[in-house]
Amino acid sequence: MWGSRSPETARRNLLIVIGIAIAIVIYSFGIDQTDIDLRETQDETRQTSVTRALRELLSPDIFDQDSESQFAAVSMQLRCEDDGAASEITAPSGSEPTVVVVTGCVSSGDVITVEGFNFRPNTPAVLRWIPPNGESRPLTPVGTTDIVFDVDSDGHFATQVTVPRIRGEDEAHQIQAEARWGVGLPFASDTTHLVIEKMIETVLTALMATTLAIPIAFAISFLAARNLMKQVSVPAGNVFVGVILLPVGWILGTMLYGAVGQFGVELGSGELFNGATAEAAAPAVLLLLASVAGGVKRRQNVAGTGISVRLRVFGLNVLMVAVGIFVFGVLGGLALTASEVLDSGFLATFGNALGTIGDIIELTIVGVGGLVGAVMLSSFSANLVQHTLKDLRGIESHVAGFVLGGVMGAVILGLVALFGTQGALLGLFAPVVTAILGAQAAAALYTYVFNVDKRAFNVTKTQATGRLIASIVGAVIMFVIAAEMLDLSRALVQGRLPAEDTFRFFGVAFPVRSFIGKAMLMGAILSGIMGALSGVHESIPVGMTIYNGSRTILNAMRSIEPLIMGIVFVIWVGVGPFAGVLALGLHSIAALGKLYSEQIENIDNGPLEAIQSTGATRLQTIIYGVVPQIIPPYIAFTLYRWDINVRMSTIIGFVGGGGIGFILQQQINLLQYRDAGVAMLAIAIVVSVLDYMSATIRERII
Amino acid sequence: MAGVTPPLPSFVCERFMLKIEHLTKIYDNGVKALDDVSFEVPDGQFVAIIGLSGSGKSTLLRCINRLIEPTDGRILWNDIDITSANDEELRLIRRRIGMIFQQFNLVKRSKVITNVLAGRLGYTNQFMSFINHFSKEDYEDALAKLERVGIADKADNRADELSGGQQQRVGIARALMQDPELMLADEPVASLDPATSHSVMKYLELLNKEDGISILCSLHFLSLARTYSDRVIALKDGRIEFDGPAQDIDEVRFKEIYGEDAVRVEIE
Repeated sequence: MWGSRSPETARRNLLIVIGIAIAIVIYSFGIDQTDIDLRETQDETRQTSVTRALRELLSPDIFDQDSESQFAAVSMQLRCEDDGAASEITAPSGSEPTVVVVTGCVSSGDVITVEGFNFRPNTPAVLRWIPPNGESRPLTPVGTTDIVFDVDSDGHFATQVTVPRIRGEDEAHQIQAEARWGVGLPFASDTTHLVIEKMIETVLTALMATTLAIPIAFAISFLAARNLMKQVSVPAGNVFVGVILLPVGWILGTMLYGAVGQFGVELGSGELFNGATAEAAAPAVLLLLASVAGGVKRRQNVAGTGISVRLRVFGLNVLMVAVGIFVFGVLGGLALTASEVLDSGFLATFGNALGTIGDIIELTIVGVGGLVGAVMLSSFSANLVQHTLKDLRGIESHVAGFVLGGVMGAVILGLVALFGTQGALLGLFAPVVTAILGAQAAAALYTYVFNVDKRAFNVTKTQATGRLIASIVGAVIMFVIAAEMLDLSRALVQGRLPAEDTFRFFGVAFPVRSFIGKAMLMGAILSGIMGALSGVHESIPVGMTIYNGSRTILNAMRSIEPLIMGIVFVIWVGVGPFAGVLALGLHSIAALGKLYSEQIENIDNGPLEAIQSTGATRLQTIIYGVVPQIIPPYIAFTLYRWDINVRMSTIIGFVGGGGIGFILQQQINLLQYRDAGVAMLAIAIVVSVLDYMSATIRERII
Repeated sequence: MAGVTPPLPSFVCERFMLKIEHLTKIYDNGVKALDDVSFEVPDGQFVAIIGLSGSGKSTLLRCINRLIEPTDGRILWNDIDITSANDEELRLIRRRIGMIFQQFNLVKRSKVITNVLAGRLGYTNQFMSFINHFSKEDYEDALAKLERVGIADKADNRADELSGGQQQRVGIARALMQDPELMLADEPVASLDPATSHSVMKYLELLNKEDGISILCSLHFLSLARTYSDRVIALKDGRIEFDGPAQDIDEVRFKEIYGEDAVRVEIE
C-alpha cells in the first residue's frame, strides 16, 4: 500500500497541509480582529442591563388599562434639633389610607422605615419623595431594584427607603405613597396604535417598491438572458450606424415625441385651454398628419423591400408611434384632471393616486419619447444602410468600416466621458472603456497580422494564447495612455471634475471640455482600427455585449445595500416612506432582474426554435415562445421579493426610510424597551405571516 | 409502392425546389456534423433522411431554415440563396418552410389554438402580436387546420393536456398555417408509439399527395422510410452514404449505413 504512493498523492497531501495552515492563520487573525472576548459577557453590570432590556422587550406595552389610585402623604422635617429616640409606630384609628414614618426628623442618607395603613389590599404601590418645590422623585425600597412593591392582604405595607440628597433642608418635605390598580377591560395602548399604523406603512412600502421594480426588471431580464442574446449578432456596418444614431434618435425623439406627449398631457389636463399657445400648433398639425397617415397605411398595406418603400413605411411608423405617445400623454393628463375632481371625501385616495400617475407620465414622457426615438431611428437606419453596405466589396468595405467605426468609437467614448463629468470617480469609466476598446483592437490586430481563422474551431491553442496576450497588452497600454491624457489622478486623488474650457466660434463662446474631446479622439482611433480591419460585413455578437453589460450593471447594483441607497434617497427626497420605496425599488430591480433572467435561461428552448422557424420576428418569438413559459416563475419570484422587501422595509426606517424601523430606532435610542418590544413583536408576526402566505401561493403556482 | 415516383402536377415537374451544394457544418467545438453534402429535391418529393444518431440528420434540416448557421456551402430554395439572406429575407423564406419536431415543441402552457395560430406569426404585424391579435380569417383557418388533423374539439385545451400523437398533430397544424411549400420534419415520430407513428406519418403523406408539399423527413426506422418516402438519403458521419429509392437498400447497404453490428428492427 504505502509503496504505491504516487507523487500525485503526495502533492495532494502537501496541498491539504498548506490549506490547513492557511486556515489557522486566517482564523487567528479573524478572532483577533473581531474582538471576540467571552469575559465581556460575564461582566456583572452588563448582565444586569441586558437582563433589564430583555425583560422589558419581553413585556411589550401592548395593552393599557384605565386605573384608579389612592394617595397618602406624610410630612417630615430635616435637620431638626430634636434627635430623640425613634418613636413606636401605632396604627391610625381611621379607615383612610395613611402613611407613617418612624421618625419625623431625618437627614440625607438615613435609612427610614415607612409604613402604610388602610390601603387597597394586594395592590402594587410606589413611594415618592416630594420636596417643597414639588419635583417629586421615586424612592426605591432598600434591597431591591424595582420601585414597585405590594400592599399586603390587610392593606398594610412596611418599607425601608433611603432619604435622598436634597436641598432646602430647613423646610418640610413629604413622602407620598400611591397605590394604583386597573379598572375595566384592557385596551390597545397608544404604542400599539402607532405600531399598527407604521406596520401598514411598512407593508405598503414593500408593495410599492416591488411594483416599481417589476416592469423595469421584466424588460432588463430579456437583455440579461444568455440563451436569447447569444444568437443576436449583426453585421459590423449595421452596428456602427445603429450606435452612431442612438444619441441623434434620442434628441429627435425628445423633440418630436416629447412635444407631442406634452401636448397630450396639456390637452388631457385642460391646461391647454387656460392659455392656448402657438407652441401647441406644431404637435397638433403633426397629429393630424399622423391620423391621416394611419388611414393611408391601412388602405395601402404597403409591402416590399425597396428603399423608397422602407422610407415610407418608416415615416408612417414614426407618425403612428406619435399617435401612441399622444394617447399616452392624454391619459396622463386625464389622470391629472381626475385627481382635481376627486379631491375630497371617500374618493380622495384614488384621486391622489391618479394624480401621482399623471405626474409620473408628465415627468417621464419626454424621456420615453427620446428612448422610443433612439431605438426607432437606430434600428431603422441600421436596416436601411444594410442595403447600401451589402454591395461594398474589398477595400471599400474596410474604408467604410474605418469611417463608421471611428465615428461610433467617438460617440461611445463621448457619451462615457459626458457621464464622467458628473462625478470625479465616474471619470474612471472613460479610461476603462478605452482599455476595453484597446483590448479588442489589439486582438483584432493580432488576428489580422497572424492571419488567424475567425472560426473558433480553427484557432490553435498558441494563437488563442497570443490573442489573449495581445488584448491584455492592448488594454494596459490604452489604460495608461488614457489615464495620462485624461489626467486620472485629478479624478482619483484630488476628486475634482474635469475643467471646462471655452471655445470661441465666430465670437460666440461655447463651453467645451477637452476631457470629452480627448476621449472621443481615442475612441475614434481604436474603433476606427477595428472597423478598418473588420470591414462592414463581419458579424458582431451584439447580443453577448449587451448581455455582459446588463449583467455587470445588475451585479453592481445588487452589491449596494438598500440601507446605503436609502441614505442617498433620504438626502434626495427627504425622510419618509418614499425614500424607502425608491431604495428598495432600485435594489429589487437588480435582484429581480437577475432572478427573472435566470428563469428565461431555464426555459424549454424547443418552442422558441419552432416559433422562430415559422418566420416570426424576434419580438414575436419572445411574446409567443418565452413569455408563456416564464409567467409562473415570475409571479413566484415577485412574491418572494415582496416578502424580502417587507423584511427589509422594517429596517430601512433606521436610515430615515419610513415605516416601522423609524419608530423602532427612536424607541431604542430613548431606552423605551417596552415600546420597542411591541414593534419587534409586530415585525415578527407580519414577516412570518407574509412568509407563510407567499410560500403557499408559490407552491400553488409552480 | 415505395420508390415509385408519385404522379406530380405537371407544372412542377423536373423543377428543383431545393438545391443543397457542398453544405458543411462544423460546430464551435470542432465537431464536423455535415461534410460536403450536396443533393437536389424536385418539387413535391417525399424524402426520408436516415442514419444513426449523430450522423447529422437534425443539423441538415436545421441548416435549411438556418436555425443553425452553416459553415460552408450554399442552399438554394426556388433559386433564392438562403445562406446569404439577411434577417428580413430569412424571415420571408422561413415562413414558407414548415417544420415539425421530435419533441413537438409546442408552448405547453398555451392553448392549442394559440399554438396553431403561432404558425401565422410570419404573416402578422409584430405590433399586433403585442396585443395577441390575429385576424378573423386566421382564426377560422386555424380551426380548419385542426379539423383537418382531427382534433378540432381540443382547440381550447392547454397543449400539455394532449397526448403525444395529438401534440404532434397540433405541430403539423401549426406548420400548415404557414402555407408551406416545403416541410422539414425532424424525427417526427421518434417519441411516439408504433400505431401513433403511422397515423402521424399518414398525415404527412396526405400533405405530400394532396397539397403537393415537398417533405424532408428524418427517420430512425428504415421500414417507415420504405412505406412513406419516394427517396431515401442516408447520412453517415455527416456524409451522404446512400441516395436512392428505399427498396435499393439491401443487407450490405444497410450495414454500411448503420454499422456492422446493426440488426434490422421493423416498425409495423
